[in-house]
Parts: sequence; structure tokens; C-alpha cells
Amino acid sequence: MLRDVSSTMAEPKFAALVDSIVADAGRRDELLTLLREDHALYRGRSAATIVRMRGWVLLALERAGVSDAALAFLLEELDTGVDPYLVAAAARALRSYRRPNAALAPFVMGALANIRYRDEPVSFDAYGVYAVSATGSSAVRELLATLAWLGPHAASAVPELEALRAPGGLPAKLRGDVERALQSVLGAPDPHDVAGTVSCCGPQVPMAAGGHRSEDIDSVLLEDHAGDRISFNAFFRGQPSIVVFFYTRCDNPLKCSLSVAKLAQAQQLLDAQGVADRIRTAAVTYDPAYDLPARLRVYGLDRGVRMDAGNRLFRAVTGNQAVQDHFGLGVNYVGSLVNRHRIELHILDAQTRIAASFERLRWDEREVVARAVEVLKATNSIPRLPIRRGRS
Amino acid sequence: MDVELQINNSASPDARFLTWSPSPCRVRMTNPSGATGPSVTVRITGASTASGGAVVFRSGTTGAFANSLSVPVPVNGTSMPFFVAGRFGRPSAGNGDVRIEARTGTTLVGSVSVMVRIRKNANGLSTAERDRFVAAFAQLNNQGLGRFADFRNMHTNVSSPQAHGAAGFLPWHRAYLLDLERELQAVDASVALPYWRFDRAAPNLFQLDFLGVSDSLGTVRLSNSNPLQFWRTDGVQGTNRRPFFNTGSAPPGLLSEIQTLALGTQYRAFRTMEGNPHGLAHTSFGGSISSIGSAARDPLFFLLHCNVDRLWAKWQRQNGRFNAAQAASYDPGSHPIGHNLPDTMWPWNGVTGNPRPPTAPGGALAASPTASAPGPQPTVRSTLDYQGAVGATARMGFDYDDVPF
Amino acid sequence: MATKRKATKKATQTRKRGGSPRTASHRAVAVATSPRRSVKERTAAAAQSPLAVCESEKDFQAMLKVLCDTTEPVKVRLAALQSLQAASFSVLSFEGCRGDYIATLRQVAEDHDPELRQRALGMLMREKDGFAQKKLLEGLRDPDKALLPPEKALQLLSYDVHADAYEAARAIVRKPPNETARREALRLLAADATAAPLFERLLLDKNELREIRQIAASALYALRPERMQKHARDILMDRSDYDDIKATSLTALTQLGDETLPQDAALMKSVGRFSTGKTPPKYKQTARRFLSKYGQ
Repeated sequence: MLRDVSSTMAEPKFAALVDSIVADAGRRDELLTLLREDHALYRGRSAATIVRMRGWVLLALERAGVSDAALAFLLEELDTGVDPYLVAAAARALRSYRRPNAALAPFVMGALANIRYRDEPVSFDAYGVYAVSATGSSAVRELLATLAWLGPHAASAVPELEALRAPGGLPAKLRGDVERALQSVLGAPDPHDVAGTVSCCGPQVPMAAGGHRSEDIDSVLLEDHAGDRISFNAFFRGQPSIVVFFYTRCDNPLKCSLSVAKLAQAQQLLDAQGVADRIRTAAVTYDPAYDLPARLRVYGLDRGVRMDAGNRLFRAVTGNQAVQDHFGLGVNYVGSLVNRHRIELHILDAQTRIAASFERLRWDEREVVARAVEVLKATNSIPRLPIRRGRS
Repeated sequence: MDVELQINNSASPDARFLTWSPSPCRVRMTNPSGATGPSVTVRITGASTASGGAVVFRSGTTGAFANSLSVPVPVNGTSMPFFVAGRFGRPSAGNGDVRIEARTGTTLVGSVSVMVRIRKNANGLSTAERDRFVAAFAQLNNQGLGRFADFRNMHTNVSSPQAHGAAGFLPWHRAYLLDLERELQAVDASVALPYWRFDRAAPNLFQLDFLGVSDSLGTVRLSNSNPLQFWRTDGVQGTNRRPFFNTGSAPPGLLSEIQTLALGTQYRAFRTMEGNPHGLAHTSFGGSISSIGSAARDPLFFLLHCNVDRLWAKWQRQNGRFNAAQAASYDPGSHPIGHNLPDTMWPWNGVTGNPRPPTAPGGALAASPTASAPGPQPTVRSTLDYQGAVGATARMGFDYDDVPF
Repeated sequence: MATKRKATKKATQTRKRGGSPRTASHRAVAVATSPRRSVKERTAAAAQSPLAVCESEKDFQAMLKVLCDTTEPVKVRLAALQSLQAASFSVLSFEGCRGDYIATLRQVAEDHDPELRQRALGMLMREKDGFAQKKLLEGLRDPDKALLPPEKALQLLSYDVHADAYEAARAIVRKPPNETARREALRLLAADATAAPLFERLLLDKNELREIRQIAASALYALRPERMQKHARDILMDRSDYDDIKATSLTALTQLGDETLPQDAALMKSVGRFSTGKTPPKYKQTARRFLSKYGQ
């Protein structure tokens, strides 16, 4: 059924499709397919349209029940979401997860800190409806309700919640919601509640090597921040690499800007461990038509990224689609401009195969570097190919 | 016989910039030929052009200033300190338009050209001053590729709690403007940030060769020779700014300077100027400048805030509020992070992650060859004594044309 | 000086009579929201209200009520809007107000008064509000639903490069309802990397309006700086082209030109010619800045 949908599907029809999936218990896994950023449905849509669409799918998860696989999408929104509607929908849907868990609390509190000064009234009445009154819900209200649902599992959040309740904390009109959350959190644990684990909510777990190594990747020509051109293989083959994806016009500071700044931190860690000359780093733009070398260079400079022969910012001069396929990128476009993407960092081995991926959640540079060093150790070294600068 | 004059205790020409606050200087003998004793009395004076800056001197950190100073300079090369300041009311019009000269008798034995570099009313800038400022600003933007991107990214919805709605509003913006101004001076050392005096008519500001003329839609038009025509922020070309008033007059409803200064003698009362005139100045327009998250996309924003800072500076001078140890100089009590006197301020402190924003654009606050304060990671406290009125080393290297030392 | 002292004394006395700034601001809200007062009094009072609006829920709601009340004079409603907007700069104190503020702006975005609609939509678009984007795009597609003229809608949509107004902008460039709409469409397209060829054509078209050529130069400079450098040079060498676009080209080269420019003797000669003769004085200065930068 989802094969037949396209980027021209009208929004009301999309909403009806989502509703029909929810109504059919056998199809609910398709909701996760609809949350993939690269789904054809999102092509050619504005970022705001995608917010409406994704929000509706997240709300559908609330009705359908949230599986472990679906949890990653909710936590992504809580971790780095800046749109109140999506954050509210994610917070609401989280309450349909099978059971509360302490690992979820930091995500909820983090989302509260991210969104509180940018909150808006939200409406869940129907698809695409925007609240024109503040009497309904909001992202902060939903997050506080989710904290109440977490109850004693959110004990780690008590000091912050008390600060939010105190004068100078959340506004007076939210004190009731804060109080309810706090009372629930401070309540006695349910003796029948079995402490569970949530596999995806702890430290970022590198996903198993995925993507498919496309032969087309061999023909990809990259241009770096200095305007030098090099083939994909010439740069990446021969040594492990840490590769992040970004674009300079990303307006979510928790995604691209932070990812590239953290790449700079990772470079320093590689240096400190004495492996900086044996593991390359690269940041590749999703937006090669706009992110010309000068723009790449300045973006990297402004975030403290070291740029040299083994550490570069790139755009794909040719073969951008091959890059997307090779890495299985979670990105989509309206025209040439990115309309939605996820956080993604991949570690390539010396044969340019993807050895590990960190997706959706903000990654810890120490874990990334540790993983990259493991890949380095596991590498059957191919003699290191010198990287020649200049046109190729 | 030759002597070397060091301004701001530096031999570098980059340090030869003065304000109304006294700058520490040194004179030493570099060629004692002709000297007959262990020291030579050197008379130090200023030589100004008719329209240029003027300077005054004193020998120590206190005392009256004079038009000249006699300093006994040892022939063995030991440096002798003295202080020089711009004479209030006589700022420079261009770089090096006033000379500091050293003489023994009538013989000139040393001289340097300096600039009394002062933040001025934008509406009264000369054509040359205006063009230098505009060129430097456009260069800093460099059609979106320059260092200005960091300044834009420092003032967004995400970062707004660091700088608004609490006591640190004025200190944060003072540091912000100083950082920007020092970057402008790295492009052109003769530039000082001008201010838009928003309680008075400023028709010269809203011209094609300066910050532009807005059409009825609010699209800002600039002359073909204005470098700001290539201004780009957030990947978008140009500026949207729609005045809700005739730009030949002042915006209506704003507190006048006198009214602003009369808000109260305690900082807690004075800082209510964040609403009016500051907020009203922003919202006297439609366009980028009227919303907190987009305001820094408009160059006018920096001139608006320069005036806000000037009002604070004037209030400080009027009420003697440079000393952070005095309760009246700042808002006592506990404030959100970044707004308390001992707090370092984001982004210069490099601290990221809740309760600070996720990234810290721009790095440390720019250094200056003319002043060591407020340092690369300023605290709220360090922004108060910008003239060095309490502690001479707190001087930050900027002054306003109508706020004396 | 005596006048200034008198004015200061008066201001201080006024303040003392009004109490602290906070007290004065609360009183101002009472005046601004009172239907018994004149429009002039109320708009003046609204200007003094931002402090009270962000510190008092009661004052905030009172001001919102005036804004939403379509029976109130438009000037008073606009003053209320400005007061609320000024208060919104105090982010920390305004936190509790924001939800109602955004909701109200969405209501006012469809107000009967065009100025109120325009201001509310502008404020929402600068927040990248999906509601406002949806309304503006709908209006471009279907003029019967337009809340604003197309040129204003395009200008506001340009606040968010992710707003997907590019198709609508391209359609307006092809078939403009008016020249201003075409100009705004082009300004918006300056963020579209695929629009570089369009801007090249416009820049080189001597029959094109000067403002459009200036926009094209700036757009090309950002999207394809090497092409802009080439065309800037050609324009400067072309004796038949206009002084204003030459001035823009010179300004571009002064900022963007590389170190090889001084070796271009023909270009330097053309610029030298431009710096003298019948060129307007302002543009001569532009030429002299260029020559000075490149050591001529």
C-alpha cells in the first residue's frame, strides 16, 4: 500500500492513510516506515508540511501503541526537536509505551529545557489544525504529563522539577502541571512494576554495519573546503573514517551545527589518543548545490574543525544520489534544499564499508572515537594510500 | 636624540587608539646623543588638526589632565610612565589625525600619530566615517561567509534567555557589541561602532548610502556603491525593515533620553528600559529587527543596541554606578544563569548544554591591542567598569562622544 | 544646559509622581485598555506598557483583549500589538505569556484590518510558524484566499528558506501580477541554488530594471561567485553598460576579487576610465576604492 504513495499525495489523504493504518492492527509497523525521512511522501514538501505529517504519525503511534522500534523516533524528537508540535506529539505518544522507564526521564527533561522558551499552543483535534487559543495543550504541558506518567521512574529529575516549581521556574500558570508531575514522581513505586530496560535509550548504541556498498560510490567526485577535488575512494579507502552529514542552512542548532562542533571535539580526542593520522574525519553536506567550498570552510572554521588532508568538509560534485544510497541517508528535499534530516554519523572501515552508525540521537564523541579506534584495530591494513591534493 | 613613545604601553601602531579614559603610556630614550646628565626633561604635547582629535595628559592614575606634560626621561633607556586621554568633545575624524610629540626644548625628539576613537552618533558621521564603517561591516558579513555569521548566531531564539528579560540584559549586550566592534577594528582599525539615537530624528541613517531606504513593503534598498548591497544572513539576501514612522523624525512613544535616565538611580529600576525605550525601538519597525530571533540580521540592530549601551553608560556616569560592589550598580539577588555578577557569559565562556545553548559560536571575546579588559571570558561584573573609573585596568577601550570620563 | 537640567528635573518629578517604572507601567496599561480614554491617550499609554505586560498576567491579558477586540479603533489595537511585541523581547519574563501571544497572533493573522494582518503574519513568519506559512502559500496559490498581496506574502515567506515558496516564486517571475511581486519573487529565489542561471540572464540583460540587475548581481555573487567575478569584469569593460551596474560590479570585485585582478591590465584601464570623466562622483569614489585596494 505504501509503495503507491507519492510526494504529490494531498495532506488530507495522507492523514486518512495514517488513520487507516492505525485502524488495522496488522499494518501498524507501516507507521515506522512513514517516519523515515527519505520516504517518497516527503519529497518536495516544505519543512512545515513535514512537521504536520510527522506529527500526525507520532500521534498515530500514541493510538497504536509504541514499540521498541518506534521509541527511537520519539526519543529523537525529544532529544533534538525544536518544533513544539512534534515535541508535544512525541511526549504524548511516549505515554503509550509499554511501561515507564528511568532511562526515558533525561530525554523528557532535556526536551523541556529545549522547548520551554519556544513553546506554543498545539491542537491534536484533527490533522493540520493549529491552535488559535492557549487553553489546550502545549509541548511543555505534554512533557510534564509524561513526567507524571513516568512517576517514580523519573526520580532523577526531582531536583530540576523542584527548581521548575520554585519562583523563577516555570510560569505560574504551569505550576499545577509541575506539581502533579512532582507528586507523581515522588510517589511510592508500584511494587508490581518490573524495572525494564530500554535498549535504545542508554548510551548511543552503534548500529550494526548497515547500508549497502554501492559500486556507484566509486565514481563519486567530492570537492572539499579548499576547492580541491578527490574521488570518494581516494579519500576514504585505506583508513577508517568518521563521517558526519550536515548542511550549512540547517536551522536546528541541536543537529548540524552541534554535530560539526562535536566532530571538532572528536578530532581532539583522536589527537589525544595518538591516532589522528590513522583515522580520517569528514563532514559531508546534504546540500552540495549551495554549500560551495567557501561556505564549507567558514562553517568548519566557525565550529573549530581542523581541516587538512585527512580532515575535510566535502560536497559531492557528482554522485550525490550514490552517497545517499551508500550511507542510507535519512534526508529529503524540496527542490535542492533539505527539508528534513536526521542526525547521522557513520564510521567507515578501510574498505569504505560502514562499520558502525550513530543515528537520530546526539552522539557522544568519546563513544564515537572509541568505536572508530576499534575499527582501526580490526582493520587488516591495506597499505595507507597517500592522499594527493589537487584536481583528480 | 630620540625617544620612543608607547601608547597603551605598546610600540605597535595597532595600539595607538585612545578614548576619554586615560591610557597608560611610556616614554624612553632610544638615542641619548646630546644628553649631558642622567636624565633629560621631555615635554609631551598633542598636535591636532582643526577637525581632528585632541589629547590631554597626566602623569599618574589620578589628578588633573593638562595639555602638556614634562617627564624626566633617563638616558639609560628606562621607560617612564605617563597617561594620555582624548580630550572630551574632541574625537578624531580619521586615523592618526592627532599627534603626540615629545620635545627637548624646541627640538622634536619623538612623535606618534594616534586616533581618539570614539563611538559617535550615527546621524552625525562624516561621509568618510560612514563609508569606513559600512565597508568594514560589509566585509565582516562577506555575503554571509564572514565572521558576522557568529554574531548573528549569538542572538537567536535559542540563546535569548542568556541575554534578555533579566538583570544581565545590559552587560551581555555590552560584551556583544564590544566583541563585534573589535572584529570590525580588525578589518579597519579606524572604525568605532556608531549609535542610533532613537529618541531623535536620524534621517541620515536611513539613506541609500548608509543603512538603506525602505520601500512601502519594507524591502531595504541600497545604492549601487554601498557594500551592504551584498548583505546576506541565514542564506537570505538583503534586509527587511519597514518603519512605522517617518524616518525624518524619531519613532513615537519611546522614552526620551532624559526620561530613560530618570527611570531610577538603582540599576533594578534603570534596567526596565529593556521594555521602553529598547523594546519599543525594536518594534517601531516591521521586519527582522522587530523579533528577537531575527533582529541581529539587520545591521541597524547593532546601532540600536549601541544607543542602549550608551544610555547605560550615561546613567552610570550620572549616578556613579561603575562599582559592582555597590548594590545600586547592579540588581541584587539571585538571577538565572548568566545574569549574576560572578557568572561568565555565554558564548564567550564556551559552555554548552542545558542550561546554556547547545553550541557557543564565536569563541572567546576578541582581544584588543588597546585594552586587556574584559578578557576573553567576561563575567557580568567585568562589564560594569568599562572606563576604568574604579580600577584602571578594567578599561575596555571604548567611549561615547557624549559620556565623559 | 539649563534647559537640560530643567527637563531632567521634570522627568524625575514625573517619575516620582508616577512611582517606580513598574507602577507607572501598570498605570499605563490601565489607560491603554480603557475605552473611556482618547485614542491618542491610549496609544501613548500603550508605549509605556511593555514592562507591566510581561510582569503581570492581568495586564498582559488586558492588552491581549484590546488586540483581539475588533470593535476597538485600529490604532489602539496596533499600539497594543506593539506593546506586546516589545514585551516579548524580555524572554524570561515573557515565558508565561508566549502561548497566548502566539495563539492571538494566529487569530489576528486573519483580521479584517490589513495592517494588523500584515504585522501578525510578519511576526509569526519570523518565528517560522507553520500556520502562517500555510496561509501565505494558500494565498499565493488561490488569490481568493490571500490574506496579503503576493509581493508581501513572498517577502514574509523569505524569512524561512524551508518554506517551499520557490515554485510559487518561479511562477510569479514567469507571470508577475506586478513588478514589486516579481522583485520579491527574485529576492526569494536568491536562496535557491538552482536559480543561478536565471540570475545570470537577468544581470546581463541591459533592458532589465536596474534594481533587478542589482538583485541579480547579489544573488549570483552568493550562488556562483566565480561567475559573478567574470560578469562583473565584462560589465566594467562594456562601455555601453550603465554606471549603476558598474558600481555594483566594482563593489563586488572590491570585496570578492582575488589577487589576480591587478594583472588584468584591460580591467584596470576600464576602471581607471570609470573613475574619471562623466561618471557620477559617488561611483568615482567606488572606482577609487577598488583601485586603491588593488594597489593602483
